[in-house]
Amino acid sequence: MPYAVIRFSVLAVMAVAVLAPLSLVGYQSFLSAPFFDSMARFTLDAYRFVLAESDFWTAFGTTLIVAAGMTAIALPLGALLAFLMVRTDLPGRAWLEPLILIPLFVSAVVLAFGYVVALGPVGIISTHVKAVIGFLPWNIYSLTSLVVIAGLAHVPHVYLYTAAALRGLASDMEEAARVAGAGPWRVAFNVSLPMVMPSMLFAGVLVFFLGFELFGLPLVLGDPQGLLVLTTYLYKLTNKLGVPSYQLMAVVVVTIVAVTAPLVYMQRALLKQAQRYVSVRGKGLKQAPLPLGAWRYVALAGILLWFAITVIVPIAGITLRSFVVSWGEGVKLMEVLTLDHYRELFDYPNIIRGILNTLGIGVIGGAIAVVCYTAIALSIHRWQSGWTRVVDYLAMAPRAMPGLVAGLAMLWVFLFFKPLSPLKATLFSVWLAYTIVWLAYGMRLISGTLLQVGPELEESARTIGASALRTQLDVTVPLIRYGFIASWLLIFLIFVREYSTGVYLLGPGTEVIGSLLVSLWGTGAIDLVSALSVVNVLMIAFGLAVALRLGVRLHG
Amino acid sequence: MRKLSMLAAALLFSFSASAQTPSGYPADYSKIVDAAKKEAKLIVYATTDAVAAGPLIKDFEALYPGISVEYSDLNSTEVYNRFISESAAGSTADVIWSSAMDLQVKLVADGKALTYASPEIPNLPKWAVWKNEAYGTTHEPIAFVYNKRIVPAGDVPQTHADLAKLLAAKPDFYKGKVTAYDPERSGVGFLFVNEDVKNWPDAWGLFREFGKTGARLYTSAGAMMERVGSGEHLIGYGIFGSYALGRAKKDPGIGIVLPKDYTLVTSRVAFISKQAKNPNAAKLFLDYILSKRGQTIIANQALLYSLRDDVDGPASVKAVREEVGDKARPVVIGPDLLKGLDQMNRLAFLKKWQAAMKGQ
Repeated sequence: MPYAVIRFSVLAVMAVAVLAPLSLVGYQSFLSAPFFDSMARFTLDAYRFVLAESDFWTAFGTTLIVAAGMTAIALPLGALLAFLMVRTDLPGRAWLEPLILIPLFVSAVVLAFGYVVALGPVGIISTHVKAVIGFLPWNIYSLTSLVVIAGLAHVPHVYLYTAAALRGLASDMEEAARVAGAGPWRVAFNVSLPMVMPSMLFAGVLVFFLGFELFGLPLVLGDPQGLLVLTTYLYKLTNKLGVPSYQLMAVVVVTIVAVTAPLVYMQRALLKQAQRYVSVRGKGLKQAPLPLGAWRYVALAGILLWFAITVIVPIAGITLRSFVVSWGEGVKLMEVLTLDHYRELFDYPNIIRGILNTLGIGVIGGAIAVVCYTAIALSIHRWQSGWTRVVDYLAMAPRAMPGLVAGLAMLWVFLFFKPLSPLKATLFSVWLAYTIVWLAYGMRLISGTLLQVGPELEESARTIGASALRTQLDVTVPLIRYGFIASWLLIFLIFVREYSTGVYLLGPGTEVIGSLLVSLWGTGAIDLVSALSVVNVLMIAFGLAVALRLGVRLHG
Repeated sequence: MRKLSMLAAALLFSFSASAQTPSGYPADYSKIVDAAKKEAKLIVYATTDAVAAGPLIKDFEALYPGISVEYSDLNSTEVYNRFISESAAGSTADVIWSSAMDLQVKLVADGKALTYASPEIPNLPKWAVWKNEAYGTTHEPIAFVYNKRIVPAGDVPQTHADLAKLLAAKPDFYKGKVTAYDPERSGVGFLFVNEDVKNWPDAWGLFREFGKTGARLYTSAGAMMERVGSGEHLIGYGIFGSYALGRAKKDPGIGIVLPKDYTLVTSRVAFISKQAKNPNAAKLFLDYILSKRGQTIIANQALLYSLRDDVDGPASVKAVREEVGDKARPVVIGPDLLKGLDQMNRLAFLKKWQAAMKGQ
């Protein structure tokens, strides 16, 4: 089969998968009623209504602040962290690596609720701080807290992209800088990090995107003070007219797409000269850690502080909550300890199914998703064509839909596209929704790694007569195998903690922990939410431990 | 617990001993039962969480062996969205059972429900049945909850007016300490305050006190009760009695008051979908949750507050009557609920609410 046919069929499948839900939403935004309602007619009323809402503009502004703020925090910290972990002799790197990834494991609702228990107005830490200094120096429900927490929680995203790229970098240039007398920081900022700029830019843009999609943190932390971002504004909008109005929700989604599309364009412009950064050449790769000297302990302390704030505090909060019947002002924790919440989990057959389904979606679904992402990334790899731009935009588009809306759109696809209908009540529907929603993420992951492969390696294969397909399968793919394992792990983590996309597809047989958490949270079963969250965290920690034990190395 | 299971066992025995047609039901009811057994399946979308509904479903399956129930619990917006999307696509759940009374009435008004006169109608209050299509299944009082450790005993409000007075008298102590549903973001919250205004002329005065003391508004009862339990907030306004009862059973620090001037009563509304694939099983299920047997479980195990006069238990209409006498004010299931969904009415109401939240 000619290579072009394979390429176009891969891209066609992807285009359909992305465009079907998205165009439904776009179409919906111009209607007066749900698209399947016979009363629906074309109108711009939905746009008029939303754009005239002062709440919309407030939420829009807040979203911009949150997205920009968290990128400003996550990008430098994540890049620095990657440099320290990959290129220096920082003590304890081996056991730090899995720890650093933990914030990716935990669903944002869980993190947020952990913060409320630990740092809220009557939180466990807060009451001690108040007892000592007489007042509480922070307000967990403020915009600043939201930005800081979101920023710190997204450090691992930047870390993963940057670290993956740094690992493919030979250290001769850093050594040259050292020989010329540069200190470790100078090397980091003037040599190492500029070399991996494409990966950092990818990560930065993605974090900014995730800022637009942020839902769990603002849902819980923004609730008490009525702080609205676009995704939580969707909630309010749904209710404003009493009946869920898809056209208004669609307008908000279209707005988000309109805002984020130029970002993709900017990113592409920045990456035009990606060739400059190629570093895995046909020569052998040599890496030697950079000595940090006395700085190594300062750096370690900094990382541990970040880890304490981002992981230990909220996880301790939620774990504690899972073992007590009540907490807060005037409660002696020793008197309220209980194991009941864990026992209760077993009363729910759907929770047990949810746990198994979640594992299946993460492990098997994650692997299949990585294969799909790789097929797409390879089909545009080294392709000098305007179509790559189209593919890039397509990949980014679904991410602009908040998970909840994307899930609803996928439900519509499964309902109204008859050949898919029988699969609606199976885990396939959840898998497809997850894979599409995280397309941009996975693509960036794979294509970031692909950029590290020098073209001369592929060209030499072509020179001796290998076909394009053969070259990719025998040269490109084996060269990026570490990238695959890291991607699979990352996708596993993302799929296991995803919570909003599956909500509309939730039913007997398609339960996953994330959507169960959302639905339990709504009914007020916070006892179960906390216990199930702890189970979720343990499950992933266990999975990661097994992976490490089996020798799956996170870096070459 | 043991007592309850013995009671359930005794009930089970007495029922399986009798014929399949419950007493007082039409003689040809067995035809529905036979047809339902051929369907062998029932799909329910509900807002009642699966643990609360578990005993009901298990007992239903025991009563009618051969019919298995597929039960999905979702929040009320999701129930509505899924139902209208799926019914437009042609196939959806058989029974829709949701606490969003207004949305349920809208679906029935839009002709989505199957007309079916349940043989249980004579045992139900008038307000709970509309057009022989929409059926109220519970009698849930809307309560105040408070933090027993911190709220002084003398402060605990017994009426809506007490609460308004308390907030006016101690604004500093209760600053930011009262919590309620946000009617702008929560459909249930809108329904509750709307009913307050209908039942009590001074309701807006109370809402203005909320505004002046900076009441915190949430979208979920769970979030509110969690924070009342912890002392972050002290008084929760407008909480489903069933949730409050379930929570207070676990957390002794939570107190519940059913207001003595008037107590709103809401109901989980069920209807059979016109497009039901298993209409006979759906009829059995509807009759079952309205029956004495089903309602007894609702009052004693599910704790959702039964609505039949002939059922006893900690969560029953009798228990509510003991506390508030004749002051229970059920939200009538009917076209009145549609007024709140009218766009103009709703936006005007919310505008007034926003002003009240500014203390005006």
